Amino acid sequence: MFQPRPRQAQVLQYRGGYMGVAAVPGSGKTATLCALAGQLLNNAPLQDGQEILIVTLVNSAVANFARQVSDFVKHEGFLPGWGYRVRTLHSLANEIVRSRATAARIDDEVNIVDDRESSAILATAVDSWMRRQPAAADAWLGRDFLEKPHYRSNHWRNTVIESARNFIKRAKDELLTPEHLAEQLADSRQELSLAQMCMDIYDDYERALAYRGALDFADLIRLALRALRDNPDYLAALQHKYPYILEDEAQDSSRSQEAILRLLVGQGGNWVRMGDPNQAIYETFTTADPKYLREFIRSARVERRELPNSGRSTASIQQLANHLIDWSLAHPLIRIRDRQPLSLPHILPTPAGDPQPNPPDDPAAILLCPDAMSAEREAHFVAANCARWLDDHPTDTAAILVPRNARGTEIVRVLRALGTPYVENLNSASSTRAVVGSLAYMLRYLADPKNAQRLGDVYRVWRRDDRDDSAAAAAVDALVKDLRRIKQVEDLVAPRLRDWLDDNLQGESQVGARDRLASFREQIASWMRAADMPIDQLVLSLAGDIFRDANDIATAHMIALHLAQLQKQQPHMRLPDFAEELYEIARNKRKFRAWGDEEARFDPDAHKGKVTVTTLHKAKGLEWDYVAIVSVNNYDFPSAEPRDKYIGEKWYIRDELNLPEEALAQLASLCHDLPYREGFASLDARIDYAAERLRLLYVGITRARKSLCISWNTGRRNSQSEATPLRALRAFWDAEMRQRAQK
Amino acid sequence: MTSALPQLSPAQRAVVDAPLQRKLWLEGIAGSGKTSSGIARMLHLLQQGVPAESILLFVPQRSLAQPYREALRDYPGYSGGQLAVHTLGSLSKDMVETFWFLIAERAGFAHPQDLPNFLSLEMVQYFMTRAIEKLVAQRDYFKSVRIDRARLYSQIVDNMNKAAMVGFPISEIGTRLQTALGGGVEQAHIYADAQACAMAFRQYCLRRNLLDFSLCVDLFAQQVLALPVARNTLRGRFQHLIADNVEEDNPAAHRFLMSLLPNCKSALLICDHDAGFRSFLGADPESAARLRQACDNQVALDGSFVMSEPIAALGVHLSAPLLGEAAAAETDFRPALIAEAHRYHPQMIDWVADEIGKLVFEKGIKPQEIAVLAPFMSDSLRFSLFESLRRRGLSARSHRPSRALRDEPAARTLLTLARLAHPGWGAAPVQFDLAFALTQTIAGLDLVRAKLLCDVLYRDDGLHPFSGITNASMQDRITFDIGKRYDQLRDWIMTYSQGEPIAALDIFFRRLYSEVLARRGFGFHADVNAGNISRNLVDSARGFRWSLDFLRRFDDDIDLARDYVQMVERGLIANFYLRDWIEEAEDSIYIAPAYTFLLSNRAVDAQFWLNISSEGWSSRLFQPLTHPHVLSQGWQSGAVWSEADEQELERQTLRRLVLALTRRCRQAVYLGYSELGESGYESRGLLLETLYTALRRSHAEGATPSPQTPPP
Repeated sequence: MFQPRPRQAQVLQYRGGYMGVAAVPGSGKTATLCALAGQLLNNAPLQDGQEILIVTLVNSAVANFARQVSDFVKHEGFLPGWGYRVRTLHSLANEIVRSRATAARIDDEVNIVDDRESSAILATAVDSWMRRQPAAADAWLGRDFLEKPHYRSNHWRNTVIESARNFIKRAKDELLTPEHLAEQLADSRQELSLAQMCMDIYDDYERALAYRGALDFADLIRLALRALRDNPDYLAALQHKYPYILEDEAQDSSRSQEAILRLLVGQGGNWVRMGDPNQAIYETFTTADPKYLREFIRSARVERRELPNSGRSTASIQQLANHLIDWSLAHPLIRIRDRQPLSLPHILPTPAGDPQPNPPDDPAAILLCPDAMSAEREAHFVAANCARWLDDHPTDTAAILVPRNARGTEIVRVLRALGTPYVENLNSASSTRAVVGSLAYMLRYLADPKNAQRLGDVYRVWRRDDRDDSAAAAAVDALVKDLRRIKQVEDLVAPRLRDWLDDNLQGESQVGARDRLASFREQIASWMRAADMPIDQLVLSLAGDIFRDANDIATAHMIALHLAQLQKQQPHMRLPDFAEELYEIARNKRKFRAWGDEEARFDPDAHKGKVTVTTLHKAKGLEWDYVAIVSVNNYDFPSAEPRDKYIGEKWYIRDELNLPEEALAQLASLCHDLPYREGFASLDARIDYAAERLRLLYVGITRARKSLCISWNTGRRNSQSEATPLRALRAFWDAEMRQRAQK
Repeated sequence: MTSALPQLSPAQRAVVDAPLQRKLWLEGIAGSGKTSSGIARMLHLLQQGVPAESILLFVPQRSLAQPYREALRDYPGYSGGQLAVHTLGSLSKDMVETFWFLIAERAGFAHPQDLPNFLSLEMVQYFMTRAIEKLVAQRDYFKSVRIDRARLYSQIVDNMNKAAMVGFPISEIGTRLQTALGGGVEQAHIYADAQACAMAFRQYCLRRNLLDFSLCVDLFAQQVLALPVARNTLRGRFQHLIADNVEEDNPAAHRFLMSLLPNCKSALLICDHDAGFRSFLGADPESAARLRQACDNQVALDGSFVMSEPIAALGVHLSAPLLGEAAAAETDFRPALIAEAHRYHPQMIDWVADEIGKLVFEKGIKPQEIAVLAPFMSDSLRFSLFESLRRRGLSARSHRPSRALRDEPAARTLLTLARLAHPGWGAAPVQFDLAFALTQTIAGLDLVRAKLLCDVLYRDDGLHPFSGITNASMQDRITFDIGKRYDQLRDWIMTYSQGEPIAALDIFFRRLYSEVLARRGFGFHADVNAGNISRNLVDSARGFRWSLDFLRRFDDDIDLARDYVQMVERGLIANFYLRDWIEEAEDSIYIAPAYTFLLSNRAVDAQFWLNISSEGWSSRLFQPLTHPHVLSQGWQSGAVWSEADEQELERQTLRRLVLALTRRCRQAVYLGYSELGESGYESRGLLLETLYTALRRSHAEGATPSPQTPPP
């Protein structure tokens, strides 16, 4: 039973209008929002067809929300989940676009391409542009690189792709088509060659999507917004349908996403936005910006609330996180300070008697490593430290958080060498990979059904629910071993003259195994009958037989769509090819992202006693007893100081220009008729990046429940130094410790 | 009156026994006995000495004539004269063909002295692609539209067909759409592009003597019927008219019937209330209603021979919220409604199969009296249902008429074997396809042994004989029984491929089917579905061959076999031939999309509605280049299609659907609901909302909230 804290109760007093809630990490945002939805449903009966709309960030949160809200609702009638609808912004946009497909110029069978496919289409458009403009690189490459073919063909290409990707996303967010941009470019008196380049690529990219009958994720939002703006009657119908809109993780909304919700809320509507601007860490990859939530909360007509209490971390960890806020508010660099990378409120412990009390404080469980270490040494240091913690606390959870996937791979290599149990959650979420892996095993078997090894793999997949029961898992292992030894697979799966079961499992003690394998045989026969269906339908059928979890089914559906799309592009592909495609994804050799964002599906508590290796971005929304944050140096966490280097400023581009940012600046100049001055955007980007990295560090710190370790390394060229915020934190903490010791 | 017919009610009898010179309009809900009356009237005419060939049975699609054909076949007094059964399409084609030389020149054909070539729907798609693909690329047409090109072209065809059916020139398509749908400059470009493509295709056809449906109907209406000799011919041939399901027909058909009526000696026009499901094919009940006054008598049949009282009440309770009304029925509908909510889709499928098992094994309901319906029937849903039912010892059949032939295993098997038998194409099948084809071809062959066969006997130079396996244990694993049949198939293919190559793919398919695949021991033997698919493939390939033979004089870059195989593989050829309706095992559970079930014009004891949360139950198909209502006869020139129209349409569509379904159900409707759909996502369509409202209202009236829930 949910017992609201006093500050949560203030939120639950909401009856209507606009409310903005700034919540700290671990303050029970979801529970509060669900309780509010339940309360509204119970107290404000809706008319026929009306629903409360709850919008959240990731698909994995949808089921969680739906379940929690239903706990608060008194059921009426036989249909569960009635009266409210939980959607991600992307799935909401998808519903809007599909229900008014004509306005969106799509039909019912439009494909939504995932990031990987969209990248492939973009790369093709870039290659075509580079062939047409072979001399374009001359204007941007540094003098030392002009004559180096490798730089002209590979590095320059990557920069063009990156620039075009950001440009297209931003253009779509601003609802600008290539045609609009072409007109504006023609009218412009400025020399905007990057905008011209990106616009040409954008045009090709859009043509390629149109030819495939496809949309990308940005199109979904763009078209939904257009459908609502162009069709006031439809908008009015939706406004009536959703009398209340409750939004979670509002700090991650982009301009157009916010615009969609604003339209749906309408004049005088009811809108509750909850979020933590300090956890906005997607600015670099998306067009999200926490300023939209901040502005909303500040606006006069909005009731402002805070959820400052959190029972997640020890007092010391909270103190450290709070100090990072204070330090950033007084940041030594005025331009960063003005950006307000982090803002109040401070995190407060939960009040006495709270069902979620903070863990007992242990200042000694905080280690802010002062030593300059090589990357290799840091990896060993952190791995050993983490392993020690788990030795002492075998039922606790632990994570090493890295700024980038590549760093995670290095850490994993060290953990493996040390024999420390670990879970990797890098390129694709491990749960996504588990789904892909299961399907890959099944397809691989169907592609080569006489292969006993693969039959064993499939049996393991079929019994995947036994994984968590050690006795059942051992029985599965034993049978898998038996299956892999079968010489003639057909004698088990399709017996004609001999039956493997009769020959090998006769004893009374083997009745259970025999029964299981007999059922398995039936299942295999069924899958073989399904194996000649179109690949997407086959995947859906297999998924229906083995997955029960909603996220797994949703991921399987994405996989099905992905494979169907592949087949469309490459009609010669057959089941063995699809099996290999999935196998590559499952082995993390190839990227696959399920719809929207699935990272939060990872459940740390399912991996007690193991080290989770994941990125700081993927760690958002998760928590561990022990957290180590690595690579906190001035490259991964720069502070716009002269010594800092920036990932966006490529060494082969002249004048330390951040070309993707310069391209965006040219776009802004084009759209808002502003003068463009080369280099200013690159400098601005340093400030934005430094601000976002501060928030990323804050997110990392607030993942820890009991123990926190932060370290840094000197980088590949031994030239990096400790990140300024880390140095500040360390100085604060040392002083704090001295003070406490004196007391 | 014949004794072969069921007992007729007095109202029906009055229709059947009406004087011979009478023109009757008969209306009523589904299940009220209209078609039975029509059949009885037809037999009555024959009994009165009317020659069968002077009766025109006019239907919107040929399958709807089936009950008449069957009754005629079983009628003892039938002397064998040919009953003329026509749709608008078939009659137009007959008449245009007959009077071709009188109309071709005036109609603008470039070769009026040569015969015309009538195109099937798939051929239209093929030629549309040929006619406009270059134009689209050169002029950058449809740049902002995100639709697969083949589907885009089919919408252009659709527009042309609608223009012909409604009776406006194809040159007005773009303006009509633009005026009604608006959408700004970009949208205007798209409609202009669609217009230009339609005109280009029409010119392409006129230059080559090609007649698609729209041109054929146009010629029939504008040119043929303007010829006195043609009108006299029709008058002489068809003195008696029976037109069933006129509400499912289009305005061009209605105009033709209207012109025919004055000259008929007798007529019976039958119209279903609350129907018109083929709106995407031009069905127009409002246009049909104009025929009512052209008849001498109007008869309405009340009541239903099908629905139980609770089922009738269910229909009323579900349709009332959609009209914004309170339900008038006093009968409690809940005994007829059985529902269970599930979290996951597979749980729902299992529940459906369990409930069907109980109906069949415990309550003695015949399998053919059960229909499982969904708005869309994907392969995966169909497969899961079939498997679940099979595990419970139940057999099922399904009907998905417009599915691409390439998605049918039997068709793919034939194509794979065709590649194998034609090494000259340089397109030998990959091993994986061949293994599957062998499992389809050789009865009892599993995938493991098929893979073994391919591994050891399929090489670059083709298939090798079973005796070529030197390893005795491998022969033993595959088994000699399988090996023998494999050799039979191989011998046939070898003999064929070493002989004189046959240019006609349809003949190859036919021979392969009849000489090998349909024989005992082979996969298509006694497989009704595979037989249907094979024959559809033969028909389709033959139609293609005829059309292309004809076209060779205009276009020399046509490679018959290559183009045909490409068309099938691109999914352009659909499996939609009449015989699907006829040759199916009858003693099995019927699984189909809801509208397909409705157009089969039959009733069942129990219906299962699956995926009730899907929007597909009420939403129309969205196609940006066309619009069934804006391009309909009733659309007011200059009017604008509004959101209110869209919502009203959605409500009316669902209302008609639930009424039509309940009117074809005798005892119970089962609702299959899972919170998460097949794709793992949640949807909330209008049907779910309506059900909830109906249940809540019934709850408010004092009843318990839940419908019957089966015991756990």
